[in-house]
Amino acid sequence: MLFAPPDVATGEIFARLGEMLTDPYDLAVIGRTVGLALAVTIICVVLGFPIAYWLARSPSRWSGVFLAVAIFPLMLSNVVRTFGWLVILGSKGALGQLLVQLGIVEVAPQLLYTKLAIILGLTQLFLPLAIISCYSAVAQVDPGLDDASRGLGGGRIRTMWSVVIPLTMPGIVVAATLVFAGSVTAYTTPYLLGGSSQRMLSTQLFNYASTTVDWATASATALIMTVLVFLVSGLSSLIGRKGATS
Amino acid sequence: MKRPITAALAVIGYVIMIVPIIFVVATAFTSGSTLRFPPDGFSLRWFDEALGYEPFIGAAISSLELAVVATALALLVGVPVTLAVHRGKLPGKSLVEGLFLSPLIVPELVVGLALFQQLMVGLDLDNFSTLLVGHTALMLPYAVRVTGASLALADPALEEAARGLGASPLRAFFNVTLPILRPGIFSAGLLSMVTSFNNVPLSLLLQGRDFRTLPVTMLDYVQQSYDPMVAAASTLVLAATVVIAVIAERTVGFAKIFGGINQ
Repeated sequence: MLFAPPDVATGEIFARLGEMLTDPYDLAVIGRTVGLALAVTIICVVLGFPIAYWLARSPSRWSGVFLAVAIFPLMLSNVVRTFGWLVILGSKGALGQLLVQLGIVEVAPQLLYTKLAIILGLTQLFLPLAIISCYSAVAQVDPGLDDASRGLGGGRIRTMWSVVIPLTMPGIVVAATLVFAGSVTAYTTPYLLGGSSQRMLSTQLFNYASTTVDWATASATALIMTVLVFLVSGLSSLIGRKGATS
Repeated sequence: MKRPITAALAVIGYVIMIVPIIFVVATAFTSGSTLRFPPDGFSLRWFDEALGYEPFIGAAISSLELAVVATALALLVGVPVTLAVHRGKLPGKSLVEGLFLSPLIVPELVVGLALFQQLMVGLDLDNFSTLLVGHTALMLPYAVRVTGASLALADPALEEAARGLGASPLRAFFNVTLPILRPGIFSAGLLSMVTSFNNVPLSLLLQGRDFRTLPVTMLDYVQQSYDPMVAAASTLVLAATVVIAVIAERTVGFAKIFGGINQ
């Protein structure tokens, strides 16, 4: 029912779904969506975990302030947050100008409406989520375990890999799931920073539903998005359960 | 610094999170008329323009209306549900719990499309009512989680004591349970109002000619014209958010509010 518009036959939606899954352009959009979401997920975990670890373990009173600074963006409008990248990456933007001034390039390169722009925008959006999920996981691990591992001769890196990361894995999986699902379904960022040259499933969905008013295809796109999200959250709860029993 | 790699990653992370916001504020005060950096000069003209731009003001009022009503509805449904989940022994408790406490992964754009097709086109509902249904449903888990987190900390013995001392169930609820829940309800309300006010994906397909929300109106404006007025409007939204964040931090504490979501 969720995907059946009142005056479109269900058969038509599946017909469109079949067309989309064979059409090279649509496949490219799906591939781009998954690829960018994966890239953002990896970046958010790689940046978010160390930040969370540092925030949870630092004895400094500044860590409270930095935690608040990391959480605050979650309350701020995505439009406001994404708009900043237009100023930085735009044709007269700060980064392009900087590169020219430093003599690295002659003409400011095209930065907006690229994959890089979307990755930066989505990382900004979802890094706070990754930090919070990892933070609550790290905070639950007894710091005494780190010390014990060190005391027994484990180096800093070995302690990290064999003690801290395995113990915080459930939190890391939750972080990755939230970031991936968020990136697959985000609209504001690909709309403002990707434009029409870097279409993702969400911007396509809006296009079909609102601009071309092709509801069967919009529903088919929605179906693909939903399956992707549920697939990943199912997979992550499976990993979570396996981790809990082993 | 003892951990150079950690430090480098942390710096990169914070730069990506914070620097764009600084650039928004910096361009809002430009005297020029393009989004260039460095700004041409200092002026407040774009704040004047943003505050005098009727579509923004109208949409801001609409968004606020929607956020307040949706939050009130979500709390009205969510607080009793929380109590039932935590205190009661209703059958199917785990199902209710799973429904409200499952991770907040909902493809909102898809929900928006479904609501548009089923309610606006199918049942001919107006777009405010449809938005209200969607936002209330989206805010419900916040209400249940955050009030639940503060309820979990409360001692059920307090209620029993009140009952034992002769208070009626109603009196025990209003004089004992509700005051315990107040910080939880307050932070749930604050969080869900902010979330509703900022929402784009759910609201996107549910815009009407008479009722448009602010974030979507700002998005449309950015697409049409490339001037700093949106930076000024964004800075005003940012300022309001900072005020709310400070209130949240002072009253309940950030970590508690968001901790309630991610546990």
